[in-house]
Amino acid sequence: MSQDGDASEKSALPTALAAHEDARELVRLLQCTQCSRPFRNPVTLPCGNSICKECLPEAHQREHISYPDLPGRRQGFQCPFEDCGAEHPASDCNIDVTLAKIMESITEVVAKHRSVLESMPELLEEQVMWDEVMSSQPSSEKPQVHQSVGGRLIATYTLAAQGVLNHSTDVTFADAAEQEKAIDIAVLQEVLETTQREVDCQVCYNLMLDPVTTFCGHTLCRKCLARVLDHSLHCPVCRRGLAIPPSLLRQPSNKTLVNLLNGLCPDVVAARAEAVEQEERGSEGNANVSLFVCTLGFPNQPTFLRIFEPRYRLMLRRCLEGSRQFGMLMYNRYGEPQGDLGHVHFYQYGTMLQIVHAQMLADGTSLIETRGLYRFRVKSHAVLDGYSVGDVERIDDVNLAEEERIEAEETSLPPPTEEGDITGQINRMSTQELLALGQEFIVRMRGRSANWLQQRVLDIHGQPSEDAALFPYWFASVLPISEEEKYKLLGTRTVRERLKITATWIRRIETQRW
Amino acid sequence: MSAPLPKRIIKETERLQSEPVPGISAQPHDDNARYFDVIVEGPGGSCYEGGVFQLELFLPDDYPMCPPRIRFLTRIYHPNIDRLGRICLDVLKNNWSPALQIRTILLSIQALLGAPNPEDPLNEAVAKQWKENQPEAIKTAREWTELYAKKK
Ligand SMILES: [Zn+2]
Ligand SMILES: [Zn+2]
Ligand SMILES: [Zn+2]
Ligand SMILES: [Zn+2]
Repeated sequence: MSQDGDASEKSALPTALAAHEDARELVRLLQCTQCSRPFRNPVTLPCGNSICKECLPEAHQREHISYPDLPGRRQGFQCPFEDCGAEHPASDCNIDVTLAKIMESITEVVAKHRSVLESMPELLEEQVMWDEVMSSQPSSEKPQVHQSVGGRLIATYTLAAQGVLNHSTDVTFADAAEQEKAIDIAVLQEVLETTQREVDCQVCYNLMLDPVTTFCGHTLCRKCLARVLDHSLHCPVCRRGLAIPPSLLRQPSNKTLVNLLNGLCPDVVAARAEAVEQEERGSEGNANVSLFVCTLGFPNQPTFLRIFEPRYRLMLRRCLEGSRQFGMLMYNRYGEPQGDLGHVHFYQYGTMLQIVHAQMLADGTSLIETRGLYRFRVKSHAVLDGYSVGDVERIDDVNLAEEERIEAEETSLPPPTEEGDITGQINRMSTQELLALGQEFIVRMRGRSANWLQQRVLDIHGQPSEDAALFPYWFASVLPISEEEKYKLLGTRTVRERLKITATWIRRIETQRW
Repeated sequence: MSAPLPKRIIKETERLQSEPVPGISAQPHDDNARYFDVIVEGPGGSCYEGGVFQLELFLPDDYPMCPPRIRFLTRIYHPNIDRLGRICLDVLKNNWSPALQIRTILLSIQALLGAPNPEDPLNEAVAKQWKENQPEAIKTAREWTELYAKKK
């Protein structure tokens, strides 16, 4: 996104423009590049540049366009900005409500101070720019000297309003009295105070972060707009229908507002970006994983998801911007207690999924392909914007020495006393035998053309894993048994334990106990 | 454990206290900042005039993407409010927009008291009475206001 540059350079925080020293720069932020006057009825174009409504080029009939066939879209004009030059539909260019209100407030502040400061003259001398001298224009013209009143800010703004200060022209000021500096500071302070409410986003009530202006002229933080579009395709302010989300989300930021906010309060902008980042990470880093309570996922296995609920669309977007990972948890439909967590709506063990591929459809739903990374247990959880987040602990197998010790211990038990003690028999099998039991079962089932081993299934999940540690995950992914039963694999700590679980399934299927 | 309260809810709550709306108050619970005790006074000139109506308001996790949940606790005779206190108001449903806020919603509810709409009823029986015998319906609404919504 377009304003990431500032956020990433955390070491060198930009400083705010100074009322007195940077008076020329401050006024330039509000000057239309076309007419050089302070914006009058500003319109922010789809390319993020702003211009007075009066300065929009003549509209012409657009050609070769039949969709969407709206009267306003048939008229268009060539964008006058060098960095764009595209053809914008006339209907997409409405008054930028936020910028218009800011200009209104500033005009009032200037008028108020100007009337008081009539008696204070201010001399400004235009600076000759080297490129102007070098250009083909005859450079015989002397730099102009203007006289205005009331401190640097008011004087410069007034010249711009009179249309005699070109947007690109720099000026030098006559030596300033201390009193003048104080006036500039007071004027800027008043401008900041009167415009403060205008630059608050109407969704989050914070300073607009990376502001995007819709074609109806309403501005929100980019992230707030994205969230709004998860729920409705209408502008929250005027309820006009908005274009489909993907195109609006890629729309450039409102450059004038971005520059204005960075010029006036870069510290607040930086603090806000930092706060948003924190919020999305979760509070104090102890709720740092997004949790999707939906289905079972297994390490090394693919999981395909269709995401349509607004809150999960938000979660997905945040994941895609960040680690591209989230935790998958199974829904606890029987309300079984989950260890320290007590009665929660999910099972405490889950699988971290990595997003391999995400596809956003025009209606806002997303199709995502994920692959399981590792298992985890939820230690604590919270709700963030309607979805769960949590602090998780990774679940790994014990080391090989321990794995061997357990196998040795179990395989050296005396044979089970009871005939048909399946659990007792499985307990005494070697780990390799347990794996072989699974692999042979698959071969037998294939011989019988079992439905769940069709080519279609194997295309998705691959051939049975040769790796004893992973085989049970593959097996669980394809075997048609209950999810609650498969879930037992997620909390295991040894390869052997998992293979014993799969062996139990096989024995139960064979003895038709299911 | 719950995530920290969004800035928006904090600011809305502050503004409800610092710039109160006449005839309306909303006070969050100490132990749950998303749950508000609401009082709406019946508008002057309506059959609810003089009544002080209690409501409960809850801001769901995805507020302001979703509207607040709100209902009357005080019994009220009104064609758009049912016996459970649920309110039929477009801005609480399909016409909700995140640019609306607690303040605007409560004002809409107050306006609904001033202008009952029996054409879009939630309480069929009351709406029927309202359409067939309006003077009688208004009389009942006054009596109920007297009975349930007056501080004793
Ligand atoms: Zn453009
Ligand atoms: Zn202009
Ligand atoms: Zn916002
Ligand atoms: Zn709008």
